[in-house]
Amino acid sequence: MFYRTSGQFKTTYESDQALFPIKQDMILLAVILAAMYVVFPMFASEFTFKALLVPVLIYSLASLGLNILTGFAGQLSLGTAGFMGVGAYACYKITSIFPEMNVVVALFLSGFFSAAVGVAFGLPSLRIKGFYLAIATLASQFFLVWLFEKWAWLYNYNASGAIEVRTMDIFGLVVTGPNASPVVQYYFVLGIVSVVTFAMINLTRGRYGRTWKAVRDMDIAAELVGINLMRAKLSAFAVSSYIVGIAGALMVFFWKGAAEPNLFDIPMSFQIVFIAIIGGLGSVMGNFLGAILIVALPVVLNLLPGMLGLNIGSATMEHVNVMVVGSLIILFLIVEPHGLARFWALIREKLIIWPFPH
Amino acid sequence: MKQFTNFSRAVAAGALAVAMSTAAMASDSLNFPNLTYRTGPFAGTGTPIMNGQRDYMLMLNARDGGIGGMPVNYIECETGYNTNKGVECYEKTKGDALVTQPWSTGITLQVLPRTNVDRIPILAPGYGSSPMSDGNTFAWAYNPPVSYWDGAYMILDHIGGGDMSTLKGKKIALLHLDHPFGKEPIPLLEKLSELHGFELLTIPVGLKEMQNQSSQWLQIRRERPDNVVMWGWGAMNAGAITEAVKTRYPMDQFVGIWWSGSDADLQNVGAKAKGYKSISFNAPGNFPVLDDIREHVFSKGDSHIKSENDMDTIFYQRGIVISMILAEAAKTAQDNFGEKGISAEQLRWGLENLNITDARLEELGMAGMTPPLKTSCDDHTGHSGAWMLEWNGEEFVKASDLLVPSRELIKPLEEEKSAEYAQNNAPWPGRGDLACN
Repeated sequence: MFYRTSGQFKTTYESDQALFPIKQDMILLAVILAAMYVVFPMFASEFTFKALLVPVLIYSLASLGLNILTGFAGQLSLGTAGFMGVGAYACYKITSIFPEMNVVVALFLSGFFSAAVGVAFGLPSLRIKGFYLAIATLASQFFLVWLFEKWAWLYNYNASGAIEVRTMDIFGLVVTGPNASPVVQYYFVLGIVSVVTFAMINLTRGRYGRTWKAVRDMDIAAELVGINLMRAKLSAFAVSSYIVGIAGALMVFFWKGAAEPNLFDIPMSFQIVFIAIIGGLGSVMGNFLGAILIVALPVVLNLLPGMLGLNIGSATMEHVNVMVVGSLIILFLIVEPHGLARFWALIREKLIIWPFPH
Repeated sequence: MKQFTNFSRAVAAGALAVAMSTAAMASDSLNFPNLTYRTGPFAGTGTPIMNGQRDYMLMLNARDGGIGGMPVNYIECETGYNTNKGVECYEKTKGDALVTQPWSTGITLQVLPRTNVDRIPILAPGYGSSPMSDGNTFAWAYNPPVSYWDGAYMILDHIGGGDMSTLKGKKIALLHLDHPFGKEPIPLLEKLSELHGFELLTIPVGLKEMQNQSSQWLQIRRERPDNVVMWGWGAMNAGAITEAVKTRYPMDQFVGIWWSGSDADLQNVGAKAKGYKSISFNAPGNFPVLDDIREHVFSKGDSHIKSENDMDTIFYQRGIVISMILAEAAKTAQDNFGEKGISAEQLRWGLENLNITDARLEELGMAGMTPPLKTSCDDHTGHSGAWMLEWNGEEFVKASDLLVPSRELIKPLEEEKSAEYAQNNAPWPGRGDLACN
């Protein structure tokens, strides 16, 4: 009834190949975008921006990057956090070497550094697959964190060994540093995430996306139909690391404000792998659903006892939280092994034929 | 499908919770949040300190009805030493908070610039970065009673027997966590090694190698340093002490910073670690304040500690000292402004004008537990000094008179590094519109 597709005729190839061929999808997307761009900024508190909205967006973006590589091109990676670190440190160095540079430019430039590093560590993928490749990317993870600790030039010989973000503005509007208003930072992150997501939806539907999927499904067959495996795999590494690098720079510059090397250590890599898997490999929307579950849900759960007037110790709540989120992950994977995106697809299918299932 | 509706219900409840969380705060009490870490890899060292901090505040509430008649609302927010959770906790608690206690170098670094804007003082007793002592740069940050540089100075002073020139030609190893915290003493130690002609050997321990330090101790065995100074945290301490016992490093040449002196780390090795030293700004003992906590908190079952013996540990008692500093700052502010319900800005003034004399410590039932402390506009640390404690096989005992750091040596370094920080974080507000006194 609500999702009825009858009566929506496609008369041209363009309309059949549109990003959202079904009208209801467009409406739903418009509602979500309106909520993100208009409703949330009007009502959200500083805490909501800093602890829920901005982290969810940044983690979604990082997971989207990983999904390009793992979900679309089938190359398993455990080094996401390291590549995020490359983006963050590159952005830090660029903004300290060229202080006048617009931070948006610096942000998009820093992606190229992580892309280059990603391609370098992606080279083994031409020879090895699956778990073996995962180990190679794990090596990159350890190496990069070690490098962030040892190479003092990267953090400008700062005594604390951490990178700190100074105040920067775009045309007079302060966007980083302590004086930046959370709404401005939120809009900034939201804008970049929207642009990159839109680009990725298109990219994964196009020639590159199809090449990647072919490689993922069977690389020998892909090679036989004339796909250049090297180009396909390395382009996946490049695009993926580019996005991941931007996510890392956003994390330090627009959310945390300072970072020490071990932030980019393996726990964060795993967290992003979880988001991608729970959300759904090979999907764009899944990253956002996954990030809501993994990043936002624990924060919300922490608030629940206070809201219900229960007096539970913060540490106890943390233990409860780990258990609840852990069991939810297992539950979701049992109910729908292909992730939340597939779960939504099933709901949508049912809605389309509702209330008259065949 | 069913799960989905449940999920959406949870999301809706969460959104409601977010909306309400900012409203549900009391203003008829002193809100002192603490970003605790009772979970995670560092919980072993965190929990006893947090217990001490909490019990002292609860005792003030039970015995005196709070501070100056104003009850303390002591709020814990669990971070597990995780910097992401640190942001979350800071944002969650800062609404009506009078102070923020970040409890991790990483979280402190993130929060430090924000506190200037939010106008909330940071209290980082015995941690944070040493340049925070420069109150003209870090108007909102406090790290009483001693900083890491003070600690490094006092340790070397003790090793040299009060005269550092005797260190000439010696080899001193710094076994440190490879982390901002562990790197803290290096600038001062380098300066001292230049001045007094000893050789400094830095041996980093990665976060992943904390429990397995065989390669570091192999290096120590090969290099044969005259002394090993340890800047360790959490699991690293127990790891190092076990390795030192295994490699038969002479324990009386092994000294740790105050966070490397937890009873729990040494109890595992017991008598074998006899002679190990750790510097501390609180001396062990049985002080009257402990009796009050026993009477008003522990015997009522309000404390988180499991046995009464836990009150005799160094870290629990250090928690008490830390809470005492905060409570005294609140009292100083109340007395000065003549208001019971002070604001964060007034508490900042209180922290800047602390004067905890021997007489005051006597009144608090803490005479001899910690040295007298006095802070000022350009001294946010107080640099009150510390004692060397020695492990006698069963417990820590005081092994020196009060050691004090050299101001004329450390102050220029503080000014240099704080200027550097201000430059890296430009435009840094400095003292801003806050008048001194």
